[in-house]
Amino acid sequence: MGFDSLVFFCSEALTNLRRAGVMTFVTVSTIAVALLLMGTFLLATMNMEFFLDRLQEEAMVTAFLVPGTASDRVSALKLQVTGFEEVSDVTVVTPEAAARELFTDPADQNLLQIGLGEGNNPLPYTIRMKVRSAADLPGLLAKLKAMPQVESVGYGEEAFRQFQGLSQLLWIGSVLVIILLGLSSLFIVYNTVRLTLFMRREEVVIMKLVGATNWFIRWPFIIEGFIHGLLGAALALVLLLFGAPFIMARLAALVPFFTFDLAAAHLFKLSIKLCLMGIVLGISGSLLSLRDLNAFGREM
Amino acid sequence: MIELQNVSKIYPNGVRALNDVSLSIPAGDFVFLVGPSGAGKSTFLRILFREEIPTEGKVMVDGKDIVGMPDGRVPYLRRNLGIVLQDFQLLKRRTVAENVAFGLRVIGAPENVINARVQETLETVGLSHKRRMFPDELSGGEQQRVCVARAVVNNPLILITDEPTGNLDPMISLEIMQLFLDINARGTTVIMATHNHHLVNKLRKRVIALVEGRLIKDEPGGTYAYE
Ligand SMILES: Nc1ncnc2c1ncn2[C@@H]1O[C@H](COP(=O)(O)OP(=O)(O)OP(=O)(O)O)[C@@H](O)[C@H]1O
Ligand SMILES: [Mg+2]
Repeated sequence: MGFDSLVFFCSEALTNLRRAGVMTFVTVSTIAVALLLMGTFLLATMNMEFFLDRLQEEAMVTAFLVPGTASDRVSALKLQVTGFEEVSDVTVVTPEAAARELFTDPADQNLLQIGLGEGNNPLPYTIRMKVRSAADLPGLLAKLKAMPQVESVGYGEEAFRQFQGLSQLLWIGSVLVIILLGLSSLFIVYNTVRLTLFMRREEVVIMKLVGATNWFIRWPFIIEGFIHGLLGAALALVLLLFGAPFIMARLAALVPFFTFDLAAAHLFKLSIKLCLMGIVLGISGSLLSLRDLNAFGREM
Repeated sequence: MIELQNVSKIYPNGVRALNDVSLSIPAGDFVFLVGPSGAGKSTFLRILFREEIPTEGKVMVDGKDIVGMPDGRVPYLRRNLGIVLQDFQLLKRRTVAENVAFGLRVIGAPENVINARVQETLETVGLSHKRRMFPDELSGGEQQRVCVARAVVNNPLILITDEPTGNLDPMISLEIMQLFLDINARGTTVIMATHNHHLVNKLRKRVIALVEGRLIKDEPGGTYAYE
């Protein structure tokens, strides 16, 4: 494609967008509505992911040592564990501290005095640590379990699994919603482009008569689709960014324990995603409408 | 330039528009295609520019078999053809110059070539002073001249025209006809379907007559009569 052709295609596309008026509006707002809904879902999913990651990273792993492990062995173990790359904040909890933690209620304090004095505290030493990244968790657990002084290892397993399940469900849900929204808006875009193609059929017939290739005929439509998508995404983003605090508040009310967060980097990524989706929608709507150009104008 | 061997065309509705037509048209020829309404003239022409595909037979245009030609090659075939139809197929929202330029735009010609060729061609058809006007501001004859300009702007090998004077009065028809003769004089093969017996009888060019899809006459320097 030469430069002059590109200029021609772009000016054709702009002229056509202007002339199509209402049709352009319908296409752009269809894309915008679809992207707005998609964006809301993406925002929710991204937040959920973010939240889960943090949750996992803050999850404490506790290694219960074999009862009766000598305190100097414990110190050595602590050093060893601190050396692991995947952990941070390693602390040792003595049996006494564990007992105190166990009976925080003042009413239970006397239990400490009665049964669990020096020497007959059945609680083991424990080493607590944080995982730097949720991905390292399985490896770390295996490593700890393999140590002879470690009797058992505990972490927020149940909650963890549940959240992971929830997160997967949310992902599947939003992928489904995005596909459905994508398909239905594609259908609307396809039909409006079909209409504009019909309005321009004379032009297409003439182009074909003078020897235009199908791609030559398609290019202005593709550029139009691109612009439709970009405008739709821009509109959706403006609405989304203005509406985001409101949407967030709604979501927060829905899922109370959630901390919602709208980091700038987050929103930037979302904007890029929406623009790409808009462009894909706009262009594929155009391409779909222009599939059967070979049969076009046969009725001439 | 054009070769037809035993060409038949049966439309999907069962109408047999062409029936075993064989003929040959050398480069530089001027051919009138005549016959009653429904004889198959338009069908014949549409086969030449590959708007229709024959049901049977072989068609060669400029040495290429256009029956088996893949759809993707058709645009390149048409760039060697100039096509002028009865209803002036002009884009109403574009100026005369833009309409003519279309024939070059499509082949990706650079802007300066387009401008020069459009000017030259509009001078040939005598409309360069109206280059900035829109089709609606022109008379029927002028509109048809714009169509001719668009058809010849990229120097086609063959000019195919279907009743180009059908909607025009005799004087204007003669002007358009003169244009075709000029184009033919410069080496372009011209094939023209027409009902205008005055023109045919006056000019004494090669006449091919179709009746009910059959070739019934092929006569150099012939007349309009087909019975
Ligand atoms: N697209 C089509 N589908 C079905 N039948 C067609 C089609 N086009 C033409 N026909 C039929 O084929 C026959 C030949 O038509 P064609 O248009 O070639 O005739 P013609 O010689 O150009 O007539 P006219 O002088 O009236 O223009 C006619 O009977 C017509 O009804
Ligand atoms: Mg006809």
